Amino acid sequence: MDVIESNINTSSKEFKENFNHYEKLVTDLKKEIAIASKGGGEDKIKLHISRNKILARERIDALLDPDTPFMEFNTLAAHGMYKNRAPCAGIVTGIGIVHGREVIIVANDATVTGGTYYPMTVKKHLRAQEIAMKNNLPCIYLVDSGGAFLPMQDEVFPDREHFGRIFFNQAKMSSMGIPQIAVVMGSCTAGGAYVPAMSDETVIVKGTGTIFLGGPPLVKAATGEEVSAEDLGGADIHCRISGVSDHYAHGDLEAIHIARNIVENLNRPEKTYLDIKKPEDPLYDIREIYGIIPKDSRKTYDVREIIARIIDGSKFHEFKELYGNTLICGFARIMGYPVGILANNGVLFSESALKGSHFIEMCGQRKIPLVFLQNITGFMVGSKYESGGIAKDGAKMVSAVTCAEVPKFTVVIGGSFGAGNYGMCGRAYEPRQLWMWPNSRISVMGGEQAANVLLTVKRDQLWRKGKELTKKEEKDIKMPILKKYETEGSPYYSTSRIWDDGVIDPVDTRMLLGLGISASLNSPIPDWKPGVFRM
Amino acid sequence: MFINYEHENNVYNVSVERRKDLYFITYDNTEYKVKAEEIKPGHLKIKLGDRIIKSVITTGKKDKFVFTDGNVFKVKNVELSGAIKTKKRKEEGNLNSPISGKIVNIKIKNGDIAKKGDVLMVIEAMKMEYLIRAPFNGKIKKVNFKEKDQIEIGQKTIDIIKKEEA
Repeated sequence: MDVIESNINTSSKEFKENFNHYEKLVTDLKKEIAIASKGGGEDKIKLHISRNKILARERIDALLDPDTPFMEFNTLAAHGMYKNRAPCAGIVTGIGIVHGREVIIVANDATVTGGTYYPMTVKKHLRAQEIAMKNNLPCIYLVDSGGAFLPMQDEVFPDREHFGRIFFNQAKMSSMGIPQIAVVMGSCTAGGAYVPAMSDETVIVKGTGTIFLGGPPLVKAATGEEVSAEDLGGADIHCRISGVSDHYAHGDLEAIHIARNIVENLNRPEKTYLDIKKPEDPLYDIREIYGIIPKDSRKTYDVREIIARIIDGSKFHEFKELYGNTLICGFARIMGYPVGILANNGVLFSESALKGSHFIEMCGQRKIPLVFLQNITGFMVGSKYESGGIAKDGAKMVSAVTCAEVPKFTVVIGGSFGAGNYGMCGRAYEPRQLWMWPNSRISVMGGEQAANVLLTVKRDQLWRKGKELTKKEEKDIKMPILKKYETEGSPYYSTSRIWDDGVIDPVDTRMLLGLGISASLNSPIPDWKPGVFRM
Repeated sequence: MFINYEHENNVYNVSVERRKDLYFITYDNTEYKVKAEEIKPGHLKIKLGDRIIKSVITTGKKDKFVFTDGNVFKVKNVELSGAIKTKKRKEEGNLNSPISGKIVNIKIKNGDIAKKGDVLMVIEAMKMEYLIRAPFNGKIKKVNFKEKDQIEIGQKTIDIIKKEEA
């Protein structure tokens, strides 16, 4: 295969400026991730340990095979929300390896408001289950939660995608043949009691693990009965009398050991076949990406420079190089796995959309995973393009992206605006994982454009009444919109609301894509079955 | 990267891979790990295992001359048809507008001298800035637009007289 030759001059002033700027973005990101990873803070951690429990992340470490990676999702969920009271949304989720096979792990962090479920906690839990369903991965729930966060019950309890959906998913997944395993290492109250009760196999820790529909205070209020938590729903009750739990553990580590034994006996099916080769490093240092991404997001650059730094050996078989060249398409390998890459190199025109659709069709039929490197300000607008039918060509690409059932992965490496987001496999198009780089921006259109659109609408309304806007009034209309788009377009705003699976250091992109593809091979790749393309 | 070079009518196919400051060179199915340092332009200090080799390379019109350990090798790069090769991408400037948009900045005027790669004009469209760069050294004959003008895709932005012609 041909190798992408880099034209980057790493000793140029521009490169160094970009590099320093980007390095700071990454340092800030890592700082925020480190804070969120600490959970509820020193005092809460001390209290947790004093109860003979180990921390959520330590539990995960003990569960995974030694020296294997853990692909964590949304460490910055609920970042800046709920007065910053729910770091990491109080729940750690991710894909890890147990006895050589990928599993989904969902671990409550009891140091964050007792592991109770904020709206984003629910969303994060459901997202982990969704990934399990898509990839056909066993789920291990390390439960330590007081149930719903009561002050926000209207946002966590009643709706379709709320608390109840967790158990709906457990039942559905079980019927799909996905093993459900619960390890009760703390409270499991009210609705939470269904997590172990609906699992295939459940482990409970004596002394700390409890399962009940109503806790001691509620029992006293309802019936007057006074009973301790251990006598109401402890390990002895559930392993010896009720049968709600199957395995009895004397401590967290023993419980995790039992959970590993359960996974060892799951008899998982073979993974899907892909033509896998020995992984090769890219020819160029992946960190050079820091210096390639322009400090000013309005500046353009050649996305092949990015592709060259994440694919094996920088070897790229480009498709339709001379046609629709604002979208780069081509075949390559990432960590030895074959992939089809679509990367924006400017605004999408009809030709680029057609080329993208053709390329997606090929990958769909050949069963090659797709990687979208999204940096898109939108589809081209204007009368020339509308009359050229850009809407129907964009529609073809959206349709192809939707119907391609191969594992899809999206990395937002720059802008993600408007219908470009759809054609390039945004969140709504169900990529297996969607990550954002710290320089990225996401919104329906640019802030400046939105402000001008709204301003024009307002001006027209007033004009009909015979009035005009003053310069100051114009500014008063535009400023709040610009500010709103600036805040809401940030990757931190996105990731805190779980519109993505995490903001990542570009250096980790290659590894994460490799892990994501590996996990996706636990489910079969369906045949290509397109919808109707408007010609 | 793959390089084919010719020395005394034999063609050698060598694969070179850079990882950090190390080069992995594969020739005849054997991999050599090499550390190379450019002491000054054209002067290389190469570390191969315990051996330190000092080389001087000069480039002639078609050939390269490599002076190593008192020997001189005359080599030249050759392109083999069908062989694996790196993809050359020319970053030549183009004077036609790549997009329909608004001209926000013109950095030159008629009669100016432009060097290849210089930014001549900035066009804004779809939230992005597109740079018009000089494709060759030359003299600006005519700027076809004013700042704030609307430009269509494919329209010629600037006329330049190539240096050789001027």
